[in-house]
Amino acid sequence: MDHLQLGAYTFSSRLILGTGKFSSAPVMLEAVKASGAQLVTVALRRFNREQLEDDLFGPLSEIPGITLMPNTSGASTAAEAIKAAHISRELSGSPFIKVEIHPNPQHLMPDPIETMEAARILASEGFLVMPYISPDPVLAKRLEDVGCASVMPLGSAIGSGQGLASAAMLSIIIRESSIPVIVDAGLRAPSEAARAMEMGCSAVLVNSAIAASDNPSEMAAAFRDATEAGRHGFKAGLMAESTEAVATSPLTSFLGEQS
Amino acid sequence: MRLKNRPKEIVQKPLKMITIQLNGEPETLPETSALSDLLAHIGSDGKTVATLVNEQVVRPPQRAVHILMEGDRVEILVFAGGG
Repeated sequence: MDHLQLGAYTFSSRLILGTGKFSSAPVMLEAVKASGAQLVTVALRRFNREQLEDDLFGPLSEIPGITLMPNTSGASTAAEAIKAAHISRELSGSPFIKVEIHPNPQHLMPDPIETMEAARILASEGFLVMPYISPDPVLAKRLEDVGCASVMPLGSAIGSGQGLASAAMLSIIIRESSIPVIVDAGLRAPSEAARAMEMGCSAVLVNSAIAASDNPSEMAAAFRDATEAGRHGFKAGLMAESTEAVATSPLTSFLGEQS
Repeated sequence: MRLKNRPKEIVQKPLKMITIQLNGEPETLPETSALSDLLAHIGSDGKTVATLVNEQVVRPPQRAVHILMEGDRVEILVFAGGG
């Protein structure tokens, strides 16, 4: 079987779902089910007695086969991310942590230095560290060296829908990496997920494209199918490109041809 | 444990009130309230929340015996939606 391997965990789905920005918890839960995702991200937030529906742990736990991957969003330093990771593991029992450290809310670009420091410490503590990073092949390799379970370079800025703007750098990261490469952020259309998978990504992480669509469940299913199609395409091996036409039909012996 | 040090006669007297910080906001509670009492007070069964008192994680089995003190900073955290 073709499975996504992360640490000791195996997943048949290669679509990882973010749970933010949905119009309501029920809409999000339906999208999770439709997506077939087995790994979903959540964010640690303060309990609010006026918004009890914000608490997603209970409802997500009821979906069979779901593993939680808490993120460290809100952290702008390694120390804050490490603290969030520890609290999240207490609550979730999951070893997965998406290390997400972005100091600037304008562009949400991840801080490579703080991310590196947090990843090194958390990996040494036994976390399955999934760092959200800029598409930097050197940083990706350094994160692999300190024991990350994957690297998650962005396709484009979080929530921007600019797709695989980083495709050229992603290709280098995929070529160089010995751990799974997961495109995280920026995807808009299911076809972009398919393309990322055809390029050799091990999985894609999608949130806004599904949450902000008119029909999140249907979009979740579309991303599920696109991710699978792209994976099949990658495994089958794309044909070589040519600048010249290469005929698929015989060009000789046509009806009525004078020889 | 703080529970062992709790003077027994206080439980019998009319309870004094203490003020703690709950998720950054002041909250008034009867003296000798445990962390689990606070959770019940705000309507949480405690199963889906993480609790910290003065930046230290208090695990679920300890919540019933962790007595809150005047000025304690309590954080109650949940998993919300996020990408």
